Amino acid sequence: MALLEVKDLQVHFPIRGGLFSRQVGEVKAVDRVNLAIEAGQTYGLVGESGSGKTTTGRAIIGLNQITGGSILFEGADLASKGARKQNNVRRDVQMIFQDPYSSLNPKKRVLDIIAEPLRNFEKLSPQEEMRKAQELLEQVGLSADNVLKYPHEFSGGQRQRIGIARAIALKPKLIIADEPVSALDVSVQAQVLNFLRDIQKELNLTYLFISHDLGIIRHMCDRIGIMYKGRHVEEGTPEDIFDNPRHIYTKRLIAAIPDIDPLQREVRNVFRRSVSEEYDNAYRSHFDQDGLAYPLRSISDTHMVAMPEKG
Amino acid sequence: MAKSSAELPLPHNIEKSPSGWSIIWREIFRDKLALTSLIFLALVFLGVFGTALFLNQQEIVKVDLFSLYKKPSAEFWLGTDYGGRDVFGQLIIGTRNSLSIGIMVTLMTGVIGITIGLVSGYFGGLIDNLFMRLVDFFMILPMLMMVIAFVTAVPKYNTLTFSLIMTAFLWMGIARLIRSKTLQEKELEYVQASRTLGSSHLKIIFKQVMPNLSSIIIVTMTLNLAANIGLESGLSFLGFGFPESTPSLGTLVSYARNPQTLQSRWWIWLPASLLILVLMLSINNVGQALKRATDARQRKG
Amino acid sequence: MWKIIVRRLLIMIPQVFLLSILVFLMAKAMPGDALTGMLDPNIDPAAIEAMRERLGLNDPWHIQYWNWISNAVQGDLGQSFNFKMPVTELIGQRMMNTLWLSLATLILTYLIAIPLGILSGRFNDTWGDRLITGYTYIGFAAPLFIVALVMLWMFGFYFSWFPTGGSVSPGAVPGSFSYVLDKIYHLLLPALSIALITTVGTVQYLRNEIIDTKQKDFILTARAKGASESRVYNRHILRNSLLPIAAFFGYELTGLIGGTIFVESIFSYPGMGQLFLGSIVIRDFTVVTAIVLLYGIATIIGSLLSDIILSIVDPRIRIK
Repeated sequence: MALLEVKDLQVHFPIRGGLFSRQVGEVKAVDRVNLAIEAGQTYGLVGESGSGKTTTGRAIIGLNQITGGSILFEGADLASKGARKQNNVRRDVQMIFQDPYSSLNPKKRVLDIIAEPLRNFEKLSPQEEMRKAQELLEQVGLSADNVLKYPHEFSGGQRQRIGIARAIALKPKLIIADEPVSALDVSVQAQVLNFLRDIQKELNLTYLFISHDLGIIRHMCDRIGIMYKGRHVEEGTPEDIFDNPRHIYTKRLIAAIPDIDPLQREVRNVFRRSVSEEYDNAYRSHFDQDGLAYPLRSISDTHMVAMPEKG
Repeated sequence: MAKSSAELPLPHNIEKSPSGWSIIWREIFRDKLALTSLIFLALVFLGVFGTALFLNQQEIVKVDLFSLYKKPSAEFWLGTDYGGRDVFGQLIIGTRNSLSIGIMVTLMTGVIGITIGLVSGYFGGLIDNLFMRLVDFFMILPMLMMVIAFVTAVPKYNTLTFSLIMTAFLWMGIARLIRSKTLQEKELEYVQASRTLGSSHLKIIFKQVMPNLSSIIIVTMTLNLAANIGLESGLSFLGFGFPESTPSLGTLVSYARNPQTLQSRWWIWLPASLLILVLMLSINNVGQALKRATDARQRKG
Repeated sequence: MWKIIVRRLLIMIPQVFLLSILVFLMAKAMPGDALTGMLDPNIDPAAIEAMRERLGLNDPWHIQYWNWISNAVQGDLGQSFNFKMPVTELIGQRMMNTLWLSLATLILTYLIAIPLGILSGRFNDTWGDRLITGYTYIGFAAPLFIVALVMLWMFGFYFSWFPTGGSVSPGAVPGSFSYVLDKIYHLLLPALSIALITTVGTVQYLRNEIIDTKQKDFILTARAKGASESRVYNRHILRNSLLPIAAFFGYELTGLIGGTIFVESIFSYPGMGQLFLGSIVIRDFTVVTAIVLLYGIATIIGSLLSDIILSIVDPRIRIK
């Protein structure tokens, strides 16, 4: 059984307007999304900004209200009221945030930041708390001497490590990583990514990895879902997505990956132009009249794509 | 802040870092004017509250018909008023009373305003709407007149009711300010992080968000203190503040409403007027220095 | 544009309604009613009771409120028990005086504030600027009643340059030119006292605004194109900085309300503020209620004016 199973998830935001700020419409940020993650695996959600990938993650952890659908975590439905409190989901699902600068409270010492989840769920003595915080700091590769420092004394990469220490403090099962490295220097990105993989093995974590960067997703994930305007357009293993992309939107995303080899430049350009042409020609058959993706349809055991059936 | 870990035997040599307070202190010490003001205020506080312990309020406000309108002398340092009461003694007691009520009103408006501002800004939506309409309504009330009217209307009139009435019409400014700052603050990811870490709304509001507004709270409260002292003495001046048996600085100034006193007995009203002015100036100086300390762009260095 | 005005007007209605209820209940809560202080204690209690009944003082509060508000809407604010005349008539004279005082204050405020603000902003960090900043520093802290008192003491009594009370010299004939001059003469000192305080905000605002605008790209461009310094100031900087000041006009108006109470009392100027204080002392509550209501409505209209002007001036607000 999958650790996390999301079925028909919908998250809608109201649009208010008019004289009395009545609700005049809604934005379907997440529009019937399905996904499943096996324990110990990493699921990557990719899409451009506004595609609903972040909202999906936030809905799973409970930061956004769910409009419809269900989220099964170890078989329990998180969408039903009170489920989060009963099942200790708060402990088992944690999140790593995008911005290491605003995600750590600037007025709190590292100790207070890392110990916040411990204080909420475990009754520890101050000494135990301190020891735990120091252990966690060492686990994420920072010196234990740093516990009484404030966030502004650390670099972006170090701050993100503190954020990770906080997320793993309660030994969660699932971690939602929302663009965990996109605010970091490229030189630090690889470090943090590798570190995320190391602790995944060490603590047997499951990741929902949200990113707009296909390169990172390919490096990290066991399954990949591509989102566009709140819907999935394609889902599959990295091989399915990168070697055999079927949806025209996926193809375009892959074509946009930069290639550092200058000798390949002409080849890439030709490829890009052909994809762009195909995109213009095939747009009608890949999206419905509202410009939205069709429902997903299996084309192999692992590979699903959102294309209308036409045989 | 949770329990301080200072008393624990700390492993290794753990470095501590400077807090926001050290920046504030540094800023005040750099600013000679603010430093002078702060020292002056400290002296006034100590002097007034210290001496007031030895002064008998009943004794000072007792009418003495044998020494009406005495000029300043060795016996009465600042002369006497129309009831033969020692002006200097009244000045000390008055300063104490004015300061006390100023602090009391500032604290009460602070607690109410900050709580409403935080809750309103943090939750948004319907709660925010309700509170903000309430603020809007209180804002359009002619504050001074309402206070005067209520002061006359309350049956049991004393220092406490007086400060409650003032508080009722003065909490809106800080509530609005704190709300707008909270609106900005809650968009930061650390607030959402706290949610995902299992902290309750109450904990997030008061333990996570509020510390980040501490500097603006301190600045506003300092500036409010000056304003409240001015307002209280103004009301007492008009005759709607403290009763005459509890002199305030404004009470002394109000004797100047008698043209003869204003014209020829400066010792009754001028010292109190100057004291109000200097007190408000000093508190404002400290407040402005604090404001600069919290705004990195304006820091002197 | 019209949307904001309509919404703003709609917000106003419940505000005025709530204000009237609050004011009415406040008047009811005051100790004693109009009859308690006025009547000879020797009069037969039954006669007093009959009078109360006749005046409707025994009705439930909402009926009394209804009677009061429906009369008020028709311009009848009741009878002053002290002056034995309709409140509307009584307030009428006083209101003109307060309006003149407010007008004079506003004119003086802008006459002082705009040149000072411009000087201070244009030549910032010069000696002149430091003097002006020093003035705003003190003006920001100084309470109005002390400034007014010192002004009266100095220019009224000590130098005897200005009259020390009243709105006009006794014996002046209304309508003549000298009457008008005399009124202005009486207005100057009280108006100046308030203006000295109210200018502070405008001077500080203008100074910061000009210093900020001075370094903006479009000003640098104008300079680079060879525009003269005075042209840069008149055509570019001031146009940007003065508009919001026009918009704050309404708020300025509401700020005056508190000020007139102090100043009218200190200079014994027969305006609404003085009438208010006098009436509250003798418990003439019909007058008190009427004045609080009028001042409240003035505040509402003032902030309405400012919001509307601001939304015209500043397109960012219009979008909301």
